[in-house]
Amino acid sequence: MIRVTAVSHYLQPVHEGTAPPPLDAALKQVCQENFRRIDRFIELALLGSGRCARGRALAPDCGLYLGSGMGPMVGNIACQEQLIRDRELPMPFDFINTLGNSAGYYVAKNLGLGGQNQFISRRGASFAAVLTAALVDLECGAVSQALLGVVEEAPAPVAEHRRRQGLAADAAVAEGSHWLLLERDARTGYRVEREQVARYAAAAPRAAIFHDSIGGAWVTERLEKGENCTLADGDAARGWELFHFRA
Amino acid sequence: MHPVGIRGVGLSCALGLNAVDCVTRLFAGAVVPDRLRLDHVAEPVELSYYRIPDDAPPFDPRRFERLVPAVVREALSGAGLDEDERRRLPVYLGSSCFSIGYSESHYAAALAAQAPDAFPMPCCGYGDLAELARGAAGSVGPVFLYNTACTSAANALLGAQRALASGRHEYALVVGAELANRTTLAGFSSMQLLAQRLLPFAAERSGIVLGEGVGAVLLSAHPEAGDYLLHGGANNCDSHSVTTADPRGESVAAVLRQALDITGTEEVWGIRTHGTGSGAGDVAEAAGLRKTFGAMPPLSALKPWLGHTLGACGVNELVLYRGALQRGRLPALADAGTPDPELGVQALTQQTDAPSGRYLLNHFGFGGNNTALVLERP
Repeated sequence: MIRVTAVSHYLQPVHEGTAPPPLDAALKQVCQENFRRIDRFIELALLGSGRCARGRALAPDCGLYLGSGMGPMVGNIACQEQLIRDRELPMPFDFINTLGNSAGYYVAKNLGLGGQNQFISRRGASFAAVLTAALVDLECGAVSQALLGVVEEAPAPVAEHRRRQGLAADAAVAEGSHWLLLERDARTGYRVEREQVARYAAAAPRAAIFHDSIGGAWVTERLEKGENCTLADGDAARGWELFHFRA
Repeated sequence: MHPVGIRGVGLSCALGLNAVDCVTRLFAGAVVPDRLRLDHVAEPVELSYYRIPDDAPPFDPRRFERLVPAVVREALSGAGLDEDERRRLPVYLGSSCFSIGYSESHYAAALAAQAPDAFPMPCCGYGDLAELARGAAGSVGPVFLYNTACTSAANALLGAQRALASGRHEYALVVGAELANRTTLAGFSSMQLLAQRLLPFAAERSGIVLGEGVGAVLLSAHPEAGDYLLHGGANNCDSHSVTTADPRGESVAAVLRQALDITGTEEVWGIRTHGTGSGAGDVAEAAGLRKTFGAMPPLSALKPWLGHTLGACGVNELVLYRGALQRGRLPALADAGTPDPELGVQALTQQTDAPSGRYLLNHFGFGGNNTALVLERP
């Protein structure tokens, strides 16, 4: 039996002309050290993973599965401005922070994780992608615990970021970091059950606010509130896989 | 761990435009990298670079639109998948660059046109290459896009092998894709990691030479007689440094041992090293190999033929190494430089026989990401 034994949910609306709140104080609560040269994407990953793992004994083989539809935007934007607009070579640490797994490196360093460390994207369904990968590894015995999460930035200026994603000019956008700790053979916590169905009509409720992994936000918000929920992955063409989270 | 069968392969890299040509070229002597000029920066840089010989402008990302479908069709040709099997095919794709070249081009064009609404990263997300692969395969299956630096495609192979072993799919298409782009070349230049010549494990090694390559592998959950087998492997994270591997090789040894353990592998007949020719990377890999093996199996280093294709190297070099094993020979470098006594290991300089049995494939990347895979020659 695979269960969710810890959850963390961070969803922060981001508005035009206003910087999202600094995370320094929150990070001090969950970080072993003051990491330098990290960007907002890494900060969000450290915050969400740190809150989820706080007070939990992580197994030596605990796998880390980080997902994101957009990936580290701030690092990529900085590199592209330096290289294309300013015609300079990018700063080395801006370049390193463009890697999908740089955030996973800092999470591993912070939580003392030396095991599996993956970055997997599937655009708006990245939460389902990392959840699937983690369940496969838990079921086959590659890991006994899986710390999985999705992170999305909302880089300034917000108007540009809306256009980048094809959103309406007045769409409400957010940054987020949403995490689960899954354990095989746990006795308490939400059971995670998979179900294949040919038809599925009830998609997740349309969110009032957008980031690319809002489906992950929807799950972690429900679980933090103590509510059962179901995440649907798939479409009419290939069929549906349902992930039930039940107390 | 349940092994999966390799049912088809495709490859375009500096060695050629299909897998057979690439393997043939692997046994036809050394390859000299091309010269590539990064000339849109204030102080232009000229680099050694292994280009795909497709006669296209080097920084045009639209080359993906021809190359990805071509290698996917090559991998699927002869595999006999029916329409429904293709439709359900999941795509596991590993890349370092993904669509960054499109963003570079569109942003540069908007700036050149003095467009008031020009903004960086206009093409975001990772999905475009997977759509090219799905389109060529006729698939509407799920996609898993791996971006873990130089282990990306190796992790895609590992993820696909485990998903097939778990019974979730009958087949999986795994793609590695890397093409020349300004961000990667400028980033590696900025970090001063590039060399003119790639000399893995040699005393004279001075850095890596990048290359481009697009490869595809079709895996089957039900291996048939004669299939090469992917037994799976292991992945871990070394939190020594985000850019530099631990010179003691502890996490390298740990991932190699875990890969051997989880696949039940007792004897290894050869190793496809990561072998980048970088100062610190080769030190860590050599230390990890020495900690793991008493008697060192023959070591092959393939990057001097196709360059370091970064996130795609896991698939690209698997295709090449399997092709060499099919010929019954382990590839050897004509000139491996001077052995480095501090490393205590050296890449093969004489081709040797490749018997049936198991082979290890090493992959290491930025962010401390390490992946080892076990391949079996039937």
